[in-house]
Amino acid sequence: MTRLPVLSIVTWAPFVAALFIMAFGRRRPALVRWVAAASAAVSSVGSLWIFYAYDRTAGGFQFSERLDLVPTLGIAYELGVDGMSIVMVLLTAIIIFAGVFASWTVKTRDQEFYALLLLLVTGVFGVFVSLDLFVFFLFYEIAVLPMYLLIGIWGSSGDVPPRGIFGWAYRRTGVGSKEYAAMKLTLYLLFGSAFILVGILALYVAAGSSSFSLVELQQIRFEPRLQYWVFLLLYVGFGILAAIYPFHTWSPDGHASAPTAVSMLHAGVLMKLGAYGVIRVGMELLPEATLGLAWLVGGIACINIVWGALSAMAQTDLKYVIAYSSVSHMGIVMLGAATLTETGMNGAIFQMFAHGIMTGLFFALVGLVYEKAHSREIFKMGGFATMMPGIAAAFTIGGLSSLGLPATSGFVAEFLTFLGAWSSSHPWWLLPGVAGAFLTSLYVLRVVRAIFWGPKSDDPHFQHLPDAQGTEWVALMLLVFVIVLFGVAPGLAIGPIDTYTVPLLTRLGAL
Amino acid sequence: MSGLVDIVSQPLAIESGVFGLLVMVLVTGLTGAGRANQLAGWLSLTGLAALTFAAAIARPGAVAFDGTFAVDELAVFVKIVFLGSALLSVLAALGIRDGAMLRRSPEYHVALLASLLGMLVLASARDLVLLFVAFELMSIPLYVLAGFERKGEAAPEGALKFFLVGSVSSAVILYGLSFVYGATGSMSLAAIGPALDARHPLLLLGMGLAFGGLGFKIAAVPFHMWVPDTYEAAGTPYVAWLSVAPKAAGFVAIIRLYIDGIGPAVMMWVPAIATIAAVTIVAGNLMAIPQQNIKRLLGYSGIAHIGYLLMGLVAMSVSGVGMLLFYLVAYLFGNMGAFFVVQAVARTEQSDQIDVYRGLAQRSPALALSLLVFLLSLGGIPFMAGFWAKLFVFWAVVERGQYWLAFLGAVATVVALYYYLVVAKRMYIDAPTRTDAVRVPGVLLIAIFVCMAGVLVMGLYPDPWVAGAIQAASSLF
Repeated sequence: MTRLPVLSIVTWAPFVAALFIMAFGRRRPALVRWVAAASAAVSSVGSLWIFYAYDRTAGGFQFSERLDLVPTLGIAYELGVDGMSIVMVLLTAIIIFAGVFASWTVKTRDQEFYALLLLLVTGVFGVFVSLDLFVFFLFYEIAVLPMYLLIGIWGSSGDVPPRGIFGWAYRRTGVGSKEYAAMKLTLYLLFGSAFILVGILALYVAAGSSSFSLVELQQIRFEPRLQYWVFLLLYVGFGILAAIYPFHTWSPDGHASAPTAVSMLHAGVLMKLGAYGVIRVGMELLPEATLGLAWLVGGIACINIVWGALSAMAQTDLKYVIAYSSVSHMGIVMLGAATLTETGMNGAIFQMFAHGIMTGLFFALVGLVYEKAHSREIFKMGGFATMMPGIAAAFTIGGLSSLGLPATSGFVAEFLTFLGAWSSSHPWWLLPGVAGAFLTSLYVLRVVRAIFWGPKSDDPHFQHLPDAQGTEWVALMLLVFVIVLFGVAPGLAIGPIDTYTVPLLTRLGAL
Repeated sequence: MSGLVDIVSQPLAIESGVFGLLVMVLVTGLTGAGRANQLAGWLSLTGLAALTFAAAIARPGAVAFDGTFAVDELAVFVKIVFLGSALLSVLAALGIRDGAMLRRSPEYHVALLASLLGMLVLASARDLVLLFVAFELMSIPLYVLAGFERKGEAAPEGALKFFLVGSVSSAVILYGLSFVYGATGSMSLAAIGPALDARHPLLLLGMGLAFGGLGFKIAAVPFHMWVPDTYEAAGTPYVAWLSVAPKAAGFVAIIRLYIDGIGPAVMMWVPAIATIAAVTIVAGNLMAIPQQNIKRLLGYSGIAHIGYLLMGLVAMSVSGVGMLLFYLVAYLFGNMGAFFVVQAVARTEQSDQIDVYRGLAQRSPALALSLLVFLLSLGGIPFMAGFWAKLFVFWAVVERGQYWLAFLGAVATVVALYYYLVVAKRMYIDAPTRTDAVRVPGVLLIAIFVCMAGVLVMGLYPDPWVAGAIQAASSLF
């Protein structure tokens, strides 16, 4: 009996749906949405099956598929998942499923919107499951490019024109407009992919120009000098997508301007793709450089945590607060990876998952609030909890997870990471980490209080606002459920993650 | 069939065919009175289609005039490129039914065929004199064609600039070649390598001058100034061709002179060529950014592409030259396709400003999509021809150990994508100012379709094209 190619189904189902939507979706909004939802459901079921059926005792790459594409160059369509990727695939599936429902109300050119969104998702799935660096890169590009149009066409421009002594310069370059954000994001990420491409090519040529296969490249020990500069190339290239300081500025602009589902997907999943790339390609293939440069990765991660949190505190636009909090939380991911300890690595990968769900929830909620109240200005809104109790409750749960309250998934992730930092060779990394968690509680509680639980605003626009309705509940319920589930039973994810981190650290010689 | 293959594989068979076609078009123009204008175009088109087919089935290996004229694999490959691009250009030109084209179409086609004849001879020339004469046969009709549509003041200016720069560069090439001849005492390319040490000062001087002159022809920085003005002023189908075929011819001349002529000692030229490639890529891309006219934008982006093609030369290896040839074909489809869309839009809008592309995606979705595909291919996005082209030249220079050049090229790609995306923004994000669709003549539609098919087929299935390009290059080393 031939086994069902689950990974290919998960990856290509959204793509097929995108083609279908482009072919038959003209002026049939209901069809477009249900086809999108159906493909997301197919991917989700597949991801759940993978997550369930992955053999945790055996570990390693499973569900492998292989098809030679360009044999002369050693390019093959080679898929497989291990303990890290099954968690990421599951995350992607959850977010896109929620995202399809969160963008139910897109009015203009919905056919193209859903097609591009699903195309993007195929790219993301592809990155997480491909074992051939070349195919990996191709999927990576698919995941980056549709973003330009998605933000440029369906995004929203900020209400507040830039002020201050450089205000004139910002206004001239169009800072705050969706076109500016789309271009900035695209160029930053393409700039990163140029670094990645050269890094991958260098590894390929150094390994004898015979194969792009990750599994085969792992067997080769590259000379240390090459390792160091290729690691730097990959770290910067993928790091741009993971919003490492100082290449993070595309992220707040981009996420604030993007439409709801795109923000969810981008902050929730695509930024993880950067961290995933650093671990998967950088750390796995270049052990000596990883050990030698961990101080750099961890140090920059510390800056990220504190800088992101401080920037989030200074914002008055709700969407920017969430966007900067992503910068801060991605710092925790990179910090965990840089600790090179089992707990720290587990924490990092768990944080990728936890933060993905949490930030997805946040952006879905911000989208809902904006739709009802037509405002993103934190200090103009107030007392919404009486009018929209469901949204308020979900936002509060997300916020508590963000600041790391026990029984939410955010707590597990941060706890493990900080524990790892303490037992690593740089225990002082704990300080910025904990400081970041403290600052997070400040800005999250401030926002939650101002918008939802504080005194009611006198503004006549904010008097009779409805709560979430119909399909809008799907995203909220699903994401809140996942946050609590993985907060209460973190072993669900830690189990498979551990089958990945232990062999990796053993090979690095860090265990 | 095999008889036909034998005939077209004779040396000078294709060239004789083009010459015959040229005479026929000329006679038609002289005798055909009113209908001649239409007839000349269709005649050229049919003839070129037949000749392209002939070139595609021809066997390499024929030699004539004591090895002066050789039809090796490289020659066959680029001859197909020359003929194919001319075919597309003539096809697109049939869509023009006004202005100078209406009155003097035979002249246009005669000049184009004469230039094509020069390119075809150049591809096979292995002798300094023949090389230069073929080069001039190619260049002089190009100057005439540049000023063919005399609308406004821009056309004469662009044509004159092109002519002056072109003649000076020809003189420089000739001057350089005279040193080479003086040093070796032979006109044959094959005699250069064995006769002299590559560091012989006269040879260095001669080859350096020749490279400068050829640099003008291929428009490498700092010899590029004529490009944007000429592109802006001249007729679009011609510019589409000008941006590809003469550049390819320039590269063939460089390959013949340096790799074929000097032999293995050519490696000492690598740093110089690498520098020019780097400067060309950076300068071309940066100067494209502020352009408001799409033809100027494509002109500057074309300069940057010359830099990438030079990267293939930097590798000085079978794979390097092979990838250069692959890049040429990818560039042919992408660039000519983009110019054809520009022609279609300009026909309705009477303008080449990027502003007129506002909301094109809502007015003519298919046209906008094809321009997007062409631009993304030029920008090197996966699943399009241009991606493989860029990847392969990067790979070739990485193999040569020139990591910095590959890195620079990859980063500059992002700059290029910026200005391509600005056009995409106009088409897809901005709201249209008018609602009527852009009407495209049937012939132009076919030309655009062919380019689109080329870009996508090469992008999705590059294997046979790579094999062909590598095989063409392997005859050199």
